Amino acid sequence: MSCKLVRRHLGALVDGELDPATQIEFERHVEGCPGCQEHFAFEASLRQQTRDSIGGVHAPEHLWGRAIRRLDEIDEAKAEHTSLIHVRPMRWRQTWPIAAAAAAVLIIGAVVGLPESTEYQGAGMLQDVMNLHSQALPSDVQAEAPQEVARYFQGKTPFPVKPAQFEEPSMKFVGARYIRVGTRPAAALYYNHLGHRVTLLVFQSPEIMRNAQHTHVGGRELHYYDVGGNVVTIRQHGGVNYAFYGDIDRPVLFQLAANARVAY
Amino acid sequence: MPRKSKKVAAERELFEVEARPQLDVLYSMALRLTRSPVDAEDLVQDTLVRAYRFYDRFEAGTNFKAWLLRIQMNTFVNRYRRASRERQVFDGPMAVPVGEGVMSRASMRGLTDPVGDAQRRLIAREINRAFEELSDDARAMVLLADVEELSYKEIADIVGCPIGTVMSRLHRARKQLQGSLQNHAVQLGIIEEGDDEVEDPIPLEAFRSRKALKS
Repeated sequence: MSCKLVRRHLGALVDGELDPATQIEFERHVEGCPGCQEHFAFEASLRQQTRDSIGGVHAPEHLWGRAIRRLDEIDEAKAEHTSLIHVRPMRWRQTWPIAAAAAAVLIIGAVVGLPESTEYQGAGMLQDVMNLHSQALPSDVQAEAPQEVARYFQGKTPFPVKPAQFEEPSMKFVGARYIRVGTRPAAALYYNHLGHRVTLLVFQSPEIMRNAQHTHVGGRELHYYDVGGNVVTIRQHGGVNYAFYGDIDRPVLFQLAANARVAY
Repeated sequence: MPRKSKKVAAERELFEVEARPQLDVLYSMALRLTRSPVDAEDLVQDTLVRAYRFYDRFEAGTNFKAWLLRIQMNTFVNRYRRASRERQVFDGPMAVPVGEGVMSRASMRGLTDPVGDAQRRLIAREINRAFEELSDDARAMVLLADVEELSYKEIADIVGCPIGTVMSRLHRARKQLQGSLQNHAVQLGIIEEGDDEVEDPIPLEAFRSRKALKS
């Protein structure tokens, strides 16, 4: 048994990671060899000192809370997705690595069939409303003339749909699409504001105003919801709701929504 | 707030119960790997998010701490893409040969039994400094083995290499730490420079083949 052999494996010896026979053999050697004993003592002592010097770091107080909020978002997304999809070929967990494919499934799910639940309102519905914008579904009708848009929705929705009129000339009407919010027919009107997409959703959900926050913009009362970092403004005229939202800053959106002529 | 299904809620609760006690370990590791408190927090958060998403793949009864650390290590490597390059330097032909005789006997004695709190604090500071000078890979090795006291098998799982490789990488990391520590400690007069001989380093390959012949 050479000292070199023992010292080469000193780390593993101190760690107790050698195979049992070798471990015993080496320990026996160390017991009877003052030189190796010194090396062994040093190795063990330095191990302890390293642990004391480098270890003992505590995570900042807020870190767990921060992580928990992210997990909440995942759970919420999961709950949303399950509420949207009628037929689920795979469990959500299995679908996440192929997020793109999953997203495609969700879009189809959202359009083909929303759950017929009486509890379908509030946060769940708002998330769907939000999703309708992010999905950027193609328009059914791309018309310049407002009356063509109105004609398209005749018989489809139980309320008249006309493109809103904006004071800002920068708001350009792009097109419109017939959709459903929950089980109710609705219209999604697409606009472009200086290169940013804005959606106006015309739908019926009388109860949606109940829990909305409200503010005043230019003397007009405006209701809105915060939905996962996005804001949806909602106005109500003659039993019809008009939700404005999009990829634009909150003050700009508030201004646009408050000043739009929707029922004319 | 959408209603959580009972299954999701139960799974979430279980995950939190298991993950919460590991937060300090994850953060400590993340801080040492990234060397930045901001990056460390991001890394831990990403790790927990990924772990939660993959939670159904965790085999109950196995080491949850090691599992989390593996995810964190992968996340770190993926994000920084440095580790593989460093590992080549570390284990490859450019690796500096390290034998058992890195430290002189006098240095060893000085560091084995530090006298008094002041001395201990000084050495602790130098260990930190020496540790910071190590490569990502070496820091990870020292952390997992010496600070977290994980078994070689667990470390092998975490960093994704055979146990034998853990042994040699760990050996190299510790010797680098000791070499750097000795240089600093001698410069600061914490320990005396030894006048006894420093043994010739044995190239790892020669030793391995010799060992292979023996067994």
